[in-house]
Amino acid sequence: MAVNLSYVARETVSNLRRNISMASAALLTVAVSLTLVGGALLVKRGVDRATVQWKDNVELSIFMKPDASAPESDAIDRQLKAMPEVKRYHYVSKPEAFDEFRKIFANEPDVRDSLTVEQIPPSYRVVPKQAEQTKIIGQRFTDTAGVFRVSYAKEEVDALVSVTNFLQIMLWAVAAVLLTAASLLILNTIRMAIFARRREVAVMKLVGATNWFIRIPFMLEGLIQGLAGAALAYGIVWIGRDLIQGRITGARNDIQLFKQFLVTSGDVAGTGILLLVVGVLVGTVGSALAVSRFLDV
Amino acid sequence: MIRLRDVTKVYKGNVTALRGLSLDIAKQEFVFLVGPTGSGKSTLIRLLLKEEKPDSGRIWVAGKDIGQLGSWKVPLLRRNIGCVFQDFKLLPNKTAYENVAFALEVIGRPAHVIQAQVPQVLDLVGLSKKRDHFPSELSGGEQQRVSVARAFVNRPLILLADEPTGNLDPNTSVGIMRLLDRINRTGTTVVMATHDAGIVDTMRRRVVELDRGSLVRDQARGVYGAFT
Repeated sequence: MAVNLSYVARETVSNLRRNISMASAALLTVAVSLTLVGGALLVKRGVDRATVQWKDNVELSIFMKPDASAPESDAIDRQLKAMPEVKRYHYVSKPEAFDEFRKIFANEPDVRDSLTVEQIPPSYRVVPKQAEQTKIIGQRFTDTAGVFRVSYAKEEVDALVSVTNFLQIMLWAVAAVLLTAASLLILNTIRMAIFARRREVAVMKLVGATNWFIRIPFMLEGLIQGLAGAALAYGIVWIGRDLIQGRITGARNDIQLFKQFLVTSGDVAGTGILLLVVGVLVGTVGSALAVSRFLDV
Repeated sequence: MIRLRDVTKVYKGNVTALRGLSLDIAKQEFVFLVGPTGSGKSTLIRLLLKEEKPDSGRIWVAGKDIGQLGSWKVPLLRRNIGCVFQDFKLLPNKTAYENVAFALEVIGRPAHVIQAQVPQVLDLVGLSKKRDHFPSELSGGEQQRVSVARAFVNRPLILLADEPTGNLDPNTSVGIMRLLDRINRTGTTVVMATHDAGIVDTMRRRVVELDRGSLVRDQARGVYGAFT
């Protein structure tokens, strides 16, 4: 089938122009819903990253102050060694913690280079013999000299996961509803475009234009709406993440880094590509429905 | 060129539009389709274009059983059939030239073919001087000429005309009929549904009369009314 590209471009543009308000409504709905989808995905990435310290069954971490002295640190080490409840433990030194930090933020040079080795808190990662003993072990160190904070895997992870799970489910639900709305809006826009051109479509059918020839400009219109909406969502997610990140890192970047809830630009880019794909799908599905239901070709 | 065998078409609500119609139309024939409103003339034309499917019976167009035609081949069928209607069906936002060119454009003809064919066919229908006029700037007769030009520009094997003179005064109608006659002489089969007794009686071509979906008369060199 010889499809004249300039014809297709001309038809698509004039369709969009004719239905500018409907097209923008569809586009914005796609943008809002995909922004939520993107947000949900990034929250998930952030959680994954924030819980990285809890791998290998580590149940609690004792964070030293970055400026804790060697005797203070040795005291903790001796105590841990003497405790029968402790199955095993290991010390994560400043350089190691720094490496871990740099690995987590490998794709994020701004964050990666924002701290020096000296600012990183070293820590003891402790695996108890029984999970129930976690609290008992932790409490002994809470007020010990040189200890910045004791954090428990279960509590931290549970709290983080339950909050973020809820958040994610909410975001997904709203996004699903909005995506459906976006598809319907695109469907409606295309239907109006078809209605506006019904005479032309009738003549085209009459003189033997192929079905695809008639369909393509309409489907392309839907695709453009979906894609543009997704691109807008991508932009919003990108800027939104920068703003939020800026606040977090700007506020206290010295010690709270393991609690930090950061997503890298790599994550944002990956999510963005997914958003574009979903946008294209929504646009194409919406317009395909409209075309097959209302064009009857 | 066109063959129907026992074709029956029933619309929703049990309206029988065609009842076991069999008909043969040879290549290069000129056939008038007459009969009162609702006798099935328009249904016949829609069936030939495969805009409707018969409930029973078979239809051949240009040697092909169109009942066997996949839906993706229907456009190719329609490229062999030119159509002219009572209400012209021109696009108001396109000039005469653009209306004719549109028919070639949407079936993917290259620009140089369009530039060669359209002026030629506009010349044939006598509208070379008004090629850049919009339909609203043309008389009814002129609009129908544009419509004929559009139907013929792709050199179809068959030209179907559904009351092409229905909206035109007698003098203008004569002009359109001359045009259809010329097109018929180039080898195109012409089937024209009409209520215009004067035209049928003057032309003396084959007349096929339908009544409530059945063939009631098929007469070579016929007239509009059987007993006039």
